[in-house]
Amino acid sequence: MKKQGAILSPTLIAIVGFLTVCPILMLALGSFSEGLGAFGTLTTAKYVSAYTDPEFAKIIINTVIFTLGSAFVATALALFLAYLNTRTNVPFKFLFQIISLVPMMVPHILFAVSWALLLNPTNGMLNIFLRQILGFDAISLNIYTLKGMILVEGLLDLPIAYLVIAPAMSSFDVSLEESSRVCGASNWRTLFRITLPVLRPAILAAATLVIVRSMASFAVPSVIGMPGRIYVLATHIYRVVATGYATDYGLAAAVGMSALVASITLIFVYRRLTKEGEKYVTVTSRGYRPSTIYLKGARYPLFGIVGILSFILIVLPVAVLFYTSLIPYSMAPSAKAFASMSWRHYLAVLNDPVSLLSLKNSLLLGVGGATLGMVLSFFVAYTIVKIRSKASGFLESLSFLSFSFPGIVVGIGFMWFFVQTPLYSTIWALLIGYIATYLPYGIRPLTSAFVQIHGNLEESSRVCGGGPLYTMRRIVLPLLVPGIVSGWILMATMFVRELSLSVVLSRPGTEVLAVQILRFAEDGLWGRLSALGILMIFISTTLVLTASLIGKRLTKI
Amino acid sequence: MRKKMALGVILSVLTAVAAFAAEPSGALVEKAKAEGKVAFYANMTAIEPIIADFGKKYGVKAEYTRLSTTKFVATIMTEHAAGKLTADVLQAPVPVLEFLKEKGVIASYVSPAAAGYPKWANTDGKIQLFGIEYAALIYNKELVKPADVPKTYQDLTDPKWKGKIVMADPATHPTTISWLVGLKENVIKSDAEWMKFLKGLAANDPMFVASFGPTPAPIESGEKLIGISMPKYIVTKAPAPLDWAHVSQPMMGTPRGIAIAAKAPHPNAARLFVDYWLSRDAMTIMAAKVGEYVLTPGVYPPIAGIDKAKVIPIRELSDAEIKSWGKEFKKIFARP
Repeated sequence: MKKQGAILSPTLIAIVGFLTVCPILMLALGSFSEGLGAFGTLTTAKYVSAYTDPEFAKIIINTVIFTLGSAFVATALALFLAYLNTRTNVPFKFLFQIISLVPMMVPHILFAVSWALLLNPTNGMLNIFLRQILGFDAISLNIYTLKGMILVEGLLDLPIAYLVIAPAMSSFDVSLEESSRVCGASNWRTLFRITLPVLRPAILAAATLVIVRSMASFAVPSVIGMPGRIYVLATHIYRVVATGYATDYGLAAAVGMSALVASITLIFVYRRLTKEGEKYVTVTSRGYRPSTIYLKGARYPLFGIVGILSFILIVLPVAVLFYTSLIPYSMAPSAKAFASMSWRHYLAVLNDPVSLLSLKNSLLLGVGGATLGMVLSFFVAYTIVKIRSKASGFLESLSFLSFSFPGIVVGIGFMWFFVQTPLYSTIWALLIGYIATYLPYGIRPLTSAFVQIHGNLEESSRVCGGGPLYTMRRIVLPLLVPGIVSGWILMATMFVRELSLSVVLSRPGTEVLAVQILRFAEDGLWGRLSALGILMIFISTTLVLTASLIGKRLTKI
Repeated sequence: MRKKMALGVILSVLTAVAAFAAEPSGALVEKAKAEGKVAFYANMTAIEPIIADFGKKYGVKAEYTRLSTTKFVATIMTEHAAGKLTADVLQAPVPVLEFLKEKGVIASYVSPAAAGYPKWANTDGKIQLFGIEYAALIYNKELVKPADVPKTYQDLTDPKWKGKIVMADPATHPTTISWLVGLKENVIKSDAEWMKFLKGLAANDPMFVASFGPTPAPIESGEKLIGISMPKYIVTKAPAPLDWAHVSQPMMGTPRGIAIAAKAPHPNAARLFVDYWLSRDAMTIMAAKVGEYVLTPGVYPPIAGIDKAKVIPIRELSDAEIKSWGKEFKKIFARP
């Protein structure tokens, strides 16, 4: 154990450090230099101007409410859906599993635009529907509010929370719950006294991930926040950058540093809260199998609740997306709109050679990047959980560096770094950048699964003469399959629609889907954008199904 | 006004005759072919037809890298500082090119194809202006009655538009900031009147979006009725019910420029590309397919009334000016 740590930790710290520290270091240099590049005369002027902005306090308050709210929405929904999906006999499980992952597959900007079409105060489809059904002209739900932002961002990050919580739920030793019931506790009591406390690391991991992600997210704050004149950190950075032609990314990086500090603090809090790792071990050497709770009478009512929730929150926006991809321009549903539907936007997208090339590149990066990313994540997660030392805590913080930097800035950091290397403007730069930035997507689901596996299992294998690699292959890996599948899905779907790095690093020949998305968005071509979005949902669904099927095969070994 | 218009028409007829510039010389085409390709960095979108047509005409491949305005300077300066600037030709809003010119990134070149262009379109022998990123009042022609369409920019302050306007954020969007300042300098007679216009517009509580890109959708869908947006959407978003308010005052916009990079790896292909870009053929594609306003005499986008409109380039504002006006507009447009 000790020996392994001695080799593994430094090696991983070197690899992960190299991947994530370089771009952040460049940004840090840029934030302390005069001029527009990464190198210049040292100055603290950018920090002074960033943090003496009178509006900054208001921005921080908005950001805190926005990120905590989104984390709450995403985690609560994910718990509910994951519990029903993994532990009960609710019908049509398979469908709900896909539905809870759909927001992961859509470019966020599109999902946000769909919600604006549904819930804008003037002629949002849902508002019109409610007015006609209830006959109240006064009804006007407004998406352009902080509440609206929280709702949409929470939904968009639901898959992240779901994929971190679900594997922990499914590798849950049933004997704990059984003991509780044998002692006379009801199902509810068992849930609150046993199940949820044991899941604490997973729940906290999910919430941490969503907080950090929503802090860096730009789509919802710009599409929904700006019209409501509600600014958070990401939009504040955008305004700093966009006002003027000679953009100062050093100044933007100075503002972004606060997101970084907040994230690192969060990681430390998380580690403190889950310090007694042993408490959460549920898979030991004695017979283990997750049990199914038979819902009996509650089966259909619960199914109804999940159905309605899924419909309103996820199916509806995607339906709006599909509708937008068929109509010639943005219009409210009407006889005229349905009469003018056609596949024209799909044809326009599919007849464009750059679109086809970017489709190919994005698929390649999605599959290849996620696979490589998971290999690295596996070792990192193992070190973080099983070798709990100072070094592993450091490693965990390192893995979050690029991830927690607001998207508009982190791409520039990678550009400043890669331009110093021969990899600049190659597909490899994108691959490395993706893995470095989204490493937590691979690590989180794995750590929450790792935590639950007792050291006994590995020790027994060793005692019987199994080497460390053999133990890994025959004991640890099979138990981790749900976590591995989750991480792979998160990474692959992310890489297919990745935007922040792609728009900076992509060049002729290495175009990816995001570049197309941004082009259509900047020209206001929502129809084509939606068509591309629907195609992306198909691609990602295929990836998810393939990964899930392979995962199912593997658990049976 | 009338006199100016007449003069403009006469001038454009005269220059139209001169604009049939000679084809690029055979020697240049041969040299460009030997170089094989040209790397083109642009902030404009949807120009693929022009790129394709160039390749077809001359057998030289143009590689198009699209950089958004916010990333343009950062990317070029990063590559330039690292000695990895692979661009041969740069196209961007003129203030961006001016900044790059100061940093020594831009070469001198006056294209023979620019012979028919207005004098002010190339004053330094380096940056060639070819179009104007024009803005106008764009409205939903199905929902706004003809009688209600604004006849002057100031009509936008009429309380009937309250809550029905969309525009890019006037505190941060450079083109919108420049446009508002342009009104003060070119259109509205007194500063007091201009301030009245701004306050009236602010009182109508316009919805702010990040840039021009998201402005047309809310107008199309009827979420809003009118916006400060770009006429080119009337072309690119057809058959959407969009039209522009034919106001009595001139239209304005930030000029778009094109230039050759100082250390262009393919200098001849770069010249050939710029010559082609400024040609009547290329500019006709740009006007017809992308709805752009170009400076080639007699070439107009297919939008009713644009050929009669007066379109003027806005004076270039420095970044410091844009930022300070942005701060000013932020105060004026703040919700009470």
